[in-house]
Amino acid sequence: MFFNSFHFAAFLPIVFILYWFVGHKSKINQNYILILASYYFYSCWDWRFLFLLVFSTLLDYSCAMKIENSQSTSYRKFWLWLCISVNVGFLGIFKYYNFFAASFADLLHSFGLNSSPILLQVILPVGISFYTFHGLSYIIDIYYGRIKSEKNFVDYSLFVSYFPLLVAGPIERATHLLPQLKRRRKFNFEKAKEGMYQIVWGLVKKVVIADSCATYANAVFDHYTSMNSLSLLLGAVYFAFQIYGDFSGYSDIALGTSKLFGIDLLKNFNYPYFSRDIAEFWRKWHISLTTWFRDYLYIPLGGSKGSKWLKVRNTFIIFLVSGFWHGASWTFIAWGFINALYFLPLLLLNRNRRNLEEFTLGFNLESVRIIFNIVMTFAITCFAWIFFRAKTITDAVQYIKRLFENRVFTEQYFPIERYNYELIALIALFILVEWNSRTKIEPISGKFSWLKLSLCLAAILALGVFSDYKEFIYFQF
Amino acid sequence: MKQFLFFILKTVAILLITMGLLDVLYTTVYLQSNSRTKIDYLYNSKDKNYDVVFLGSSRVNNHFVPKIFNDQGYKTFNFGITRSRLDESALMLKLMVERHYKIKNLILQVDLNINTNDHSEAIRSLFMPYLHRSPIIRDHYKDIPEYNELLYIPFYRYMHYDARVGFREMYFSLVHKRTNNLDNDGFHPLESHGGKMIPADLSKYYPKRNVAYEEIKAICKANNINLIAMTTPMCMSTINRDYFNHIREVYPEIHNFENAVTDDKYFATCGHMNEAGAIEFTKVVFNTFFKPKSNP
Repeated sequence: MFFNSFHFAAFLPIVFILYWFVGHKSKINQNYILILASYYFYSCWDWRFLFLLVFSTLLDYSCAMKIENSQSTSYRKFWLWLCISVNVGFLGIFKYYNFFAASFADLLHSFGLNSSPILLQVILPVGISFYTFHGLSYIIDIYYGRIKSEKNFVDYSLFVSYFPLLVAGPIERATHLLPQLKRRRKFNFEKAKEGMYQIVWGLVKKVVIADSCATYANAVFDHYTSMNSLSLLLGAVYFAFQIYGDFSGYSDIALGTSKLFGIDLLKNFNYPYFSRDIAEFWRKWHISLTTWFRDYLYIPLGGSKGSKWLKVRNTFIIFLVSGFWHGASWTFIAWGFINALYFLPLLLLNRNRRNLEEFTLGFNLESVRIIFNIVMTFAITCFAWIFFRAKTITDAVQYIKRLFENRVFTEQYFPIERYNYELIALIALFILVEWNSRTKIEPISGKFSWLKLSLCLAAILALGVFSDYKEFIYFQF
Repeated sequence: MKQFLFFILKTVAILLITMGLLDVLYTTVYLQSNSRTKIDYLYNSKDKNYDVVFLGSSRVNNHFVPKIFNDQGYKTFNFGITRSRLDESALMLKLMVERHYKIKNLILQVDLNINTNDHSEAIRSLFMPYLHRSPIIRDHYKDIPEYNELLYIPFYRYMHYDARVGFREMYFSLVHKRTNNLDNDGFHPLESHGGKMIPADLSKYYPKRNVAYEEIKAICKANNINLIAMTTPMCMSTINRDYFNHIREVYPEIHNFENAVTDDKYFATCGHMNEAGAIEFTKVVFNTFFKPKSNP
């Protein structure tokens, strides 16, 4: 069941009615309804993996109490590492086993030794990377005494499996979500209306922007050897907007859906393509994952304290792990590596926290500089996206090589019967709308909200891609 | 909560009104368009007289040159559409009858397309703008699973088939942007691009009785149209050319023309001839079934 499916359009109102009209009198009823809805939601992909979700929930729940109740540090460590090992072990088997087996065989082959790796024909359970990280953050917070363990199993289960965030985040923190689940939610019209606006805007991003861009980006990346420079350039830009529209659209729908149930989730995107440098980009892109890695990996490693060598090491570790989190492929690792290279000069020159404040533009040189920086940051981000999207690193390198060597910047007709330039106007309009609403959560609220809502609905109906259905990209992670 | 329910009702009302308005807009535009596809040309025309009409897939679109017939005093048009199957050819013929076309001869390609009773989604979508207007189209599609949604939910058909009749196509129709589909009386020539000919593999093909073909036969009989059903050429390296002989076992009236042009130089791909091949082939067909009406 996808957020942009008719199945979900029927599922959501049913859960909403049950939640506010049947279970509204107590927090227990509300949580039971949400947990049943969440398990149903998850089982729509593959009910067999429900056991994994329930097992992971039980494991984290029990280990958290063991850690809290342990008298000695060694016992606390034991339960912590047991829990981490099992969680990461599942992730490793389901997501990374084939990658490591094949890479090991390739390594042996390079030394002249031939081996046939045993590859598992496993399906990646949807959302495993997200709910594993959910659980890990909870366990680590318990270990460091930041929070108390949750005694109510239903509340904890809902924290792990809450359907708006179950399959593709945002990666929640127990400190933020659990307190909301422990009290009865009262209906708030303004919050629900904001949620609806966010859902509609998320759908615009997904079915209008991301899916349209996907059609063109796929045409370019799948046939890059026959594309001219302009098509290759536009292909990278189209993919940049595809992945942004897809993932931030998903996050908007998740946050909006959750608001309908009176629950706030962590913000995941904050107009990242208007960033003035790569450090700002990473503060605004997939925020819940970035802050997760910052808090549970980067800071424990020493963060930006210590010698220059340590700073470099930590930066590379966090970006490489972040890349690898996205998928078991060298392309994602290369993408992480490139971002580390972008980030490193800012860190070493202590300029990574330079652009923290918001900006306004006017008719002055400072504004020109800001716009130039935004364009440059977007350009280098697109360059890195080529590695993220390409099937192999060789493909990415060849793509870039052809982009610079071909030097033909003319219109090109794709095999999908579309011209390379056709989406530029749509993307320009999208940028304009996002720019004007960059201080808000979504662009619909405010003055003329009914008109803006009508335009968004018309855009979804008229410009949305429905015949060539495309899954949310981050479901595969 | 009441306030929110009212808000939802208003949103749903806006959604439904928008769907209705968009449906009217798109349909109106498509009803004005007759220069984008052979189907809009067909639907938005009436009372045409043809000596010969060609129907079929790309193997008609790229293979029959109406000029060769027209130069001999005949009035012909190539209604072949790339990717269409016999189901769509049958519907096109029904529409011709509905639009009061007078047709003396129908040349129908029946070769690879008789392997299946299936339809083409891409071509089906092109009929959708006229679903409400044409009883023939409604009747043709009344048994498809999504028929009720397509007919009764405003704008659903344009969303369902957005790749072919969505915003992009509507916009081009609105500004009357021409395609080359109707050039050369419907004939679309192909060019050879050199390189090695990749053989077509028909080993999994087997001709079956075809509902749409039999429907076409019945329509022709009812409307006094002389039906000439034929196979069209494929390169000689095609795997399992015996398939063409099996066609005659199922339908003995189908004429075998798969060997009418054999030299590789006449082919753009194994399944499609280039312009020179199309001219050679059309001449063979003309000389087999027709005589010149006038001296050019």
